[in-house]
Amino acid sequence: MLSLGSIAFAAPWLLAGLAALPVLWWLLRVTPPAPKRIRFPALRLMLGLAPPEETPAKTPLWLILLRMVLITVVILALAQPLLNPRTPIAATGPVVFAVDDGWGAARHWDDMRAALDRLIDQAAREDREIVLVSTADPPGGRAASELSLLRPADARAAAANLQPLPWPGDRTQALARLQRLGLSHAAEIVWLSDGLDGGDAAAFAAGLVRLGPVTVMGADGNALPRLLAPADADDQDLTATVERADPSLPETLTLRALGEDGRLLARRAVTVPAGQGSIVAHIPMPTELRNRVASIAIENEASAGAALLLDEGWKRRPVGIVAHRDTAQPLLSGAYYLDKALSPFSEVRTGDVATLLKGGIAVLALPDSAALSDGDRQAITGWLDKGGTVVRFAGPHLAAKPDDALLPVRLRSGDRTLGGALSWEKPAKLAPFAADSPFTGLTIPDDVTVSRQVLVEPTIDLAQKTWARLADGTPLVTAAKHGKGWLVLVHTTADPEWSNLAMSGLMVEMLRRVVAVSQGISGTSDKPLPPVETLDGFGRLHAAPATAATISAGAAAKTVAGPRYPPGFYGTADARVALNLAPAVMHFAPLPALPAGVRRENFTRNTEVDFRPPLLAIALLLMLADFIIGLALRGLLPRIRWHAGAAAGAIAFGAVLMNAPIARAAGNDAAAIAGASQFHLAYVRTGVPDVDAESKAGLVGLAHVLNERTAVEAAAPMSVDPETDDLVFFPLLYWPVVDGERALSPQAVARVQHYLNTGGIILFDTRDQEQPNDFSAAAAQARLKRLAAGLTIPPLVPLPPDHVLTRSFYLLENFPGRWNGGELWVEPTADAINDGVSSVIVGGNEWAGAWATDANGVPLYAVVPGGEPQREIAYRFGVNLVMYALTGNYKSDQVHVPAILERLGQ
Amino acid sequence: MAGPALRHRAEAASLALPPLLIAAERVAAAVVQGTHGRRRTGQGETFWQFRQYEPGDPVTRIDWRETAKTQHVYVRETEWEAAQSVYLWRDGSGSMDYASDANLPTKRERADLLTLALASLLVRGGERVTLMGSGLAPVYGRAALDRLALLLSRGATASDLPAYEKLPRHGQVIWIGDLLAPLEATATLVLRYADAGLKGHLLQVLDPAEESLPFAGRVRFEGLEDENSLLISRVESIRTGYAERLQRHRDGLAALTRGVGWTFATHRTDQSPQHALLGLYQILAER
Repeated sequence: MLSLGSIAFAAPWLLAGLAALPVLWWLLRVTPPAPKRIRFPALRLMLGLAPPEETPAKTPLWLILLRMVLITVVILALAQPLLNPRTPIAATGPVVFAVDDGWGAARHWDDMRAALDRLIDQAAREDREIVLVSTADPPGGRAASELSLLRPADARAAAANLQPLPWPGDRTQALARLQRLGLSHAAEIVWLSDGLDGGDAAAFAAGLVRLGPVTVMGADGNALPRLLAPADADDQDLTATVERADPSLPETLTLRALGEDGRLLARRAVTVPAGQGSIVAHIPMPTELRNRVASIAIENEASAGAALLLDEGWKRRPVGIVAHRDTAQPLLSGAYYLDKALSPFSEVRTGDVATLLKGGIAVLALPDSAALSDGDRQAITGWLDKGGTVVRFAGPHLAAKPDDALLPVRLRSGDRTLGGALSWEKPAKLAPFAADSPFTGLTIPDDVTVSRQVLVEPTIDLAQKTWARLADGTPLVTAAKHGKGWLVLVHTTADPEWSNLAMSGLMVEMLRRVVAVSQGISGTSDKPLPPVETLDGFGRLHAAPATAATISAGAAAKTVAGPRYPPGFYGTADARVALNLAPAVMHFAPLPALPAGVRRENFTRNTEVDFRPPLLAIALLLMLADFIIGLALRGLLPRIRWHAGAAAGAIAFGAVLMNAPIARAAGNDAAAIAGASQFHLAYVRTGVPDVDAESKAGLVGLAHVLNERTAVEAAAPMSVDPETDDLVFFPLLYWPVVDGERALSPQAVARVQHYLNTGGIILFDTRDQEQPNDFSAAAAQARLKRLAAGLTIPPLVPLPPDHVLTRSFYLLENFPGRWNGGELWVEPTADAINDGVSSVIVGGNEWAGAWATDANGVPLYAVVPGGEPQREIAYRFGVNLVMYALTGNYKSDQVHVPAILERLGQ
Repeated sequence: MAGPALRHRAEAASLALPPLLIAAERVAAAVVQGTHGRRRTGQGETFWQFRQYEPGDPVTRIDWRETAKTQHVYVRETEWEAAQSVYLWRDGSGSMDYASDANLPTKRERADLLTLALASLLVRGGERVTLMGSGLAPVYGRAALDRLALLLSRGATASDLPAYEKLPRHGQVIWIGDLLAPLEATATLVLRYADAGLKGHLLQVLDPAEESLPFAGRVRFEGLEDENSLLISRVESIRTGYAERLQRHRDGLAALTRGVGWTFATHRTDQSPQHALLGLYQILAER
């Protein structure tokens, strides 16, 4: 095999044939083309004319070149050129296929499987033993089974069972298994890699190299899998971190936010600039929509890493603040501070109670200034019972009137002032939060102090109801379960009048915890979380398999996705916790530098392309072209007019290739020229062969009579089809109406109408006079009606006895055709329209039958009942008709001739 | 051979004639307008003028009715209507079956048309016409046309020159054909007829391709009669030589006819037949 870059020749010795090309060149040059044969009468004049040059005629250069190309193509085809020739597996001994079947393989799984199948086929052809190592641990956390040497058929079955798994592979453990197998011979090793480092790639490659020659197959660099990691759940927008292993090129990908049922809720394109490994993508969405998002996925990438599951912690709850829209002094209003504190992590609405509750909110914040009517209270109580959360803030109003039902605890009347001009006390600081408080874990800034608060009547359960205390132990935040909801009271104001808590970051955090309580998840869950739905390797959610383990109580935050805990939703269907793959992925980077001697290949690059069939096809086409050219040079192509030049040749060639419409257009032009250059009688093709033949023969006979008797010089009749042909060239159309005539298409109707409007005349021959009865007349009428549907024709009248048609050439009284009788129907004569010439003439006497003659002028059909005299009259009618079509109302002046003559005589 | 079958064939043949006859009549009608009669006194039936009796006029020529009206004696003169015998011939050899383009008539079709049209004109003028080589005596009247048409449709003759036959003096011969026969053969025949006292007119009908030789490249020319083929390696190179030779041939024919008082004209099939016919007719009318 001769190899030139990516192209190789399977039979390179045949290329020696190219050396014969110069000889062929010479032979082709000296062999003249076969002469054209032309019949020519004036040969005698040429006999002695010796051509001045005696050199033989040469084949034209372009033809020689064409033939040289032809020969070259044939030689090249025989040498069988191959693109990307398949490298054979070298040597003997077993073949090891190491397959990365971790999450990263999913993106190129089809290519990888195809490559693996090809390799197994190849190994099978060479009858080699196969070792198939998959690097990812099997589900459920059990150890991978030990390796063995497989027959190709078993290997194929094993390969068919491979699926990408939704966790990272463990190549170290795979290498250990391979080493435990203890291959006796040096093995050929092919590593079908997912292209990711994973931290163990270098060691794995080094370990493989020790076992034998290694080939690494993988996808291209910028086609490495991408990873979606959780970003800040509390951001204004829905966010996700897009990570990629190969940051060299800029890349644009599309994120899809999907609902619980897989419905697409939002799409957003994200561009990662070159050199940047990750970017936080923002997907702005309305809150209601955002709360329905169950997962985010990268479009067109099916892998567990490209799917990010979202749980309750991601949802933004709407919070309503009961306040008046008073913007005069915003800094004195508690609502202003609440708005600022709530807006970073929730959607804030402001309004009166009724409006807010109607709009659907999770938390209702009541600053002290909010005046509540009785109706409001009832509404709030009802809403609380159904699961709402109310956060109240104390203040002068509450302190003055503490006997409110909407309070978690009983309050003492009045308030307590800490510090002040007349007191030794300092404003109080906050005590650290208790472990069972929703606020546990929050750091308390030193400078947060409370100078006034409302006080609680001590009760037994006060400690349980207290979420936050001051340093002296008095409750600062108390809360009570109320129905299904929570009622929370902050014992100081929402504005900075009583405490600077309202201006601190702690307020934000505390409100966030309170809002989180409204979501039903307060702090860490202490229940074990069974798997609900888990992802497969392609990032699709399925019911959890039996191998997925339950996350034990309190371990949710520390659990990392893996064989035991596949990524997915855990918990209960109502309160789900998402376990994502991204934290489990280590060393998310492309393969590191591999040891020397490791070959790298692409999955797809190995497709071998054989050029022989296309080359042979080209050679065949060239041969055909050469054949046609040869015929043309000898003048054996009769239909091509060379005076039309290259255009005709191009048209002929084009017609061969694609049935060109150009050729038809040229044909149309020819028909138009033929129709316009002489006067032709014309008939409409009905598609019934007998009728068409009769029409044609009839018009031939009529044309003969016209030429013989009149000044009309009628050429051979032409046939037209109103669906396709132009009618404007013909003054008169003979239109036989037959059974089963199809209605005209709208284009044809428009064409016929245009023809009639511009002065054309149509003789409709219903051909029904043979057996005249009511039934046949009705049938013919129906046919005619169907045919003329869409044409604008005025009501027809029987031909009046003084009509021009009766005397345009001959004087006629009746108008027989093959049959005699019946009426001839015309448009009523109205001088204003078309000079009083009827554009439609309808009758049923089958005139064409009477006119028809064969080539020798012998009549074809018998004429009944009148015999030959009737045929003569029929011819006279034909002549009159043509004269009528050509001269119009010219003869109508003759109406007045008798009167004029009479007057002249007197 | 059954009689009816033969008759049927004959009828079919005669039925096919009218188109040619009609075409010829049409061509002739276009020519005849404006060229009336002989316009001189002579033997004939048509009245020409009254003239006063002069001594020597035969008494039988005196028109008594006119004489009775006036003081003088009048003689009635008729228009000269000397009927001539015209012997037509058209080349029916194989070389005439040629048209270089499908849109052109073959040389034979054109020659037939011209012959018949000329015959029609002559018959209208009261001449007697016949076809040379047919053995038919010159005849009057429109019936002659049908017969001529029939004879013409009989088709091919082998020779490209008329055979010599003994014709009466003062007759006219008209030859229509490509006249490509060797000049010597033509000259012999023309001189023989001229010696016999006949006037003649030659019309050479050629296809445009025969004048311009529009072919190119390597061509094997094949004759239409039984001739050998001729291979020309580059037709372009002999075009000038061919044109010269054709011109020389025509010059030879013209010189030959001039020498004996005959006339020679050329006609190309892409020209209008009326044109050639008018030329022929005027030459005949002048005599």
